[in-house]
Amino acid sequence: MISASVALPGSYDYGEVARSVLIAIAASYAALDLAGRVTAARGRVRLAWLSGGATAMGIGIWEMHFKGMMAFRLPVSVQYHWPTILAALLLAILASAVALYVTSRQKMGPVEALAGSVVMGAGMAGLHYLCMAAMRLPAMTLYSPLLVTCSILLAILFSLIALLMTFGLREETRWSVPRRLGSAFVMGGAVSAMHYTGMAAASFLPASPPNLSHAVNISPLANSGIAIVTLIVIVAAIVTSSVDRRANVEVQRINQELEHRVAERTSQLEAVNQALRGEIAERERAEEGVRRSEERLRLVIDTLPALVWSKLPDGSADFLNQRFREYTGLSVEEGLGWGWMRKAFHPEDRAEEEWRAAFAAGQPFEKEARMRRADAAYRWFLHRAVPLRDELGNVVKWYGTTTDIEERKRTEEALQEAQEKLARVTRTQAMGELAATIAHEVNQPLTAIITNGNFSLRQLEGAIPNLDELRAAITEIVNDGTRASAVILRIRGMLMKGVPRRTDLDINQTVQDVIVLLRNELSRNRVSLRMELPSDLPRVPGDPVQLQQVLINLIMNAVESMRTSTEGARELLIRSAKSIDGVLVQVHDSGPGIAPELADRVFEPFFTTKAEGIGMGLSISRSIIESHGGQFSLVPASRGALFQFTLPVSSGNAP
Amino acid sequence: MTEPAPIVFVVDDDPSVRRAIKRLVESVGLHVELFGSATEFMNSSHPDVAGCLVTDIRLPGISGLEFQRQLAKANNEIPTIFITAHGDIPMTVRAMKAGAVEFLTKPFRDQDLLDAIHMALERDRARRKRQAETAMLRERLESLTPREREVLPLVVSGLPNKQVAVEIGTTEATVKVHRSQLMRKMGADSLPELVRIAEKIGISGSKR
Repeated sequence: MISASVALPGSYDYGEVARSVLIAIAASYAALDLAGRVTAARGRVRLAWLSGGATAMGIGIWEMHFKGMMAFRLPVSVQYHWPTILAALLLAILASAVALYVTSRQKMGPVEALAGSVVMGAGMAGLHYLCMAAMRLPAMTLYSPLLVTCSILLAILFSLIALLMTFGLREETRWSVPRRLGSAFVMGGAVSAMHYTGMAAASFLPASPPNLSHAVNISPLANSGIAIVTLIVIVAAIVTSSVDRRANVEVQRINQELEHRVAERTSQLEAVNQALRGEIAERERAEEGVRRSEERLRLVIDTLPALVWSKLPDGSADFLNQRFREYTGLSVEEGLGWGWMRKAFHPEDRAEEEWRAAFAAGQPFEKEARMRRADAAYRWFLHRAVPLRDELGNVVKWYGTTTDIEERKRTEEALQEAQEKLARVTRTQAMGELAATIAHEVNQPLTAIITNGNFSLRQLEGAIPNLDELRAAITEIVNDGTRASAVILRIRGMLMKGVPRRTDLDINQTVQDVIVLLRNELSRNRVSLRMELPSDLPRVPGDPVQLQQVLINLIMNAVESMRTSTEGARELLIRSAKSIDGVLVQVHDSGPGIAPELADRVFEPFFTTKAEGIGMGLSISRSIIESHGGQFSLVPASRGALFQFTLPVSSGNAP
Repeated sequence: MTEPAPIVFVVDDDPSVRRAIKRLVESVGLHVELFGSATEFMNSSHPDVAGCLVTDIRLPGISGLEFQRQLAKANNEIPTIFITAHGDIPMTVRAMKAGAVEFLTKPFRDQDLLDAIHMALERDRARRKRQAETAMLRERLESLTPREREVLPLVVSGLPNKQVAVEIGTTEATVKVHRSQLMRKMGADSLPELVRIAEKIGISGSKR
């Protein structure tokens, strides 16, 4: 170690020291400020900020050291080797660049921080000792290894602190300027401390004059000039940074405002969207409701225990419910139009013209027709149709049901059959009894006649006929013959035996009663009935049951005669009218009528034109009417048979 | 021996028919009695001579068939001929089952009626003869002693005298006496004749 007494005494110009510290602080502030800019910038701008910042900062740091060396006064003249100085400056700029790069990255982990601080600290130390090496003076420079090490460690330590601070302060905040100022003081102080530690590590021993090539003497003016230029650069950097930051802040503010507006607009849109969504949901709910209600309605229509349909005004179907389709086995297409009739009705019931007429008439109607089931069986159906009209009364649609009436129809038919059978049985029985009566009553005299006749023949064949006996026998034969004819007359009278009832009756009512009994018979034989029954007829005395018999007999005769003819309409006209002394009733059919040569015989007992008739009907009818004091007759007519009878108001000759 | 003349009984509610039938039947020499109803016939007494009944089925009061039933009940076996104005098959069957001789529908052929009457009278005569014979045999049976009556069925069944004696616990000689006595009393000349007589009065070979 060189003793102090030998070393050149060094002193500090404290003004310069202060200025150097000031520059260090300014450079630190610039560094902190620029780090923020570099961080905020991207791409080329970032590179520009990095290089510009590094330059300004490097110059600042370099100038601080240089200033610090200027502040050190030695009793010898000191010159400086300018290329080394320049190298030191470059080193400072490089170290600054590294520092700015490290601190401006997105993240700074411990490894980056340490590596950065080592590089930076090494840069600082390098800068310092390069500057020392640039000194040209008549002395030998000796370094205290301890202090050198200290200075390097300090440089690295301070670099670490500086990096952490810079990294922490790079974001622009409300308090960034004062905090940066505070940090700048700390960093400036630290840099200065490192520098002066480095200075303290060196001691100068007098020696031969140095090689002064490339060495320059720094005049106080130059010193100040460099300092001023440095400050200008730093200030320019800070100002630029500040302007940029302001601009940036403004841009940010505008950005924020824009963002705010966008957010506002977005939230407005969101609200509108929300409302729209609500509306849509509401509509969907409503639609769902409508759909469900339609579904329910369709379900009701499809599951009704009836075949339901709607048709256009002309009668062509536009809807057939599911049951209709299932029953008939028709598809929707097949049943529409007139398919419901043409494809499903029984061929005999396809009265399309009739149906068209009914639809054209526009009044509710019902018709019976057989329909084919899917399994080809036919059943009777009642088709009911009701029109739907617009405000003008025009039919816009027909709605209707088609109901299975097979059971009812069968019951009706069975009932009718049973009635007919009963009527037939009753009639047969009556006929049988009548025949028995006739047989017995007529056979008695016949038996006597024949027996007497045979006796007479035997007498005549014998040798000596007993003439008295023969006379008696023949007399009996004559008597019995007379008696037989009387029996026939008596039978006719007997048919009306019993106590005759006589009540004042309305003959029209009697006709109506009979029609009620015979309605099925008439419709079954497709006979159309017309009645002309004036209401001003007098009441006549009569036996309602007997008169009903007469009417039934006449009507059934008419029906049977019309049934035999296949041609022409089957029309039956029943008229009542006032007659001279009472009422007149006519029964007129459209059948083949009665040949004129038979007209006199129809009232004879046992005369009949019918295969299974016994020929008593008209005979009995005439007897009944005559017993009422009336007249029964066949009236010549242009067409069919016309029978009439009269009933007097006063039945004086009733039996 | 001359038989008494048979009588034809005619029951018909129609007097004219009755008279005609009487005239016809009398013309063939038969005697005829007329009645207007079954009751009238039942209430009158009839001589015990051969006869037959000609009756209408349809009668006032009691019908012909009921009449037939009542006669049967009264043990009157008079042969019956039905005449009717309207007979049907069931009615005919009933009448014939109940023993009717003939069933004629009015008006009938005179010869049919007369044939039927002759047949009926013949049948009645035979019946009467049979009845008279049976009555006579029964009378003879009554004249037998109790012992003889005991021996009769055994003899008829063909047992030898010895065995008959064992059956009734007596001697063969005694049986021989009974046997000749009853043969005499019953009017039988031989065993076969006795057997036939026994059959007629309902005595068959007795069990051992």
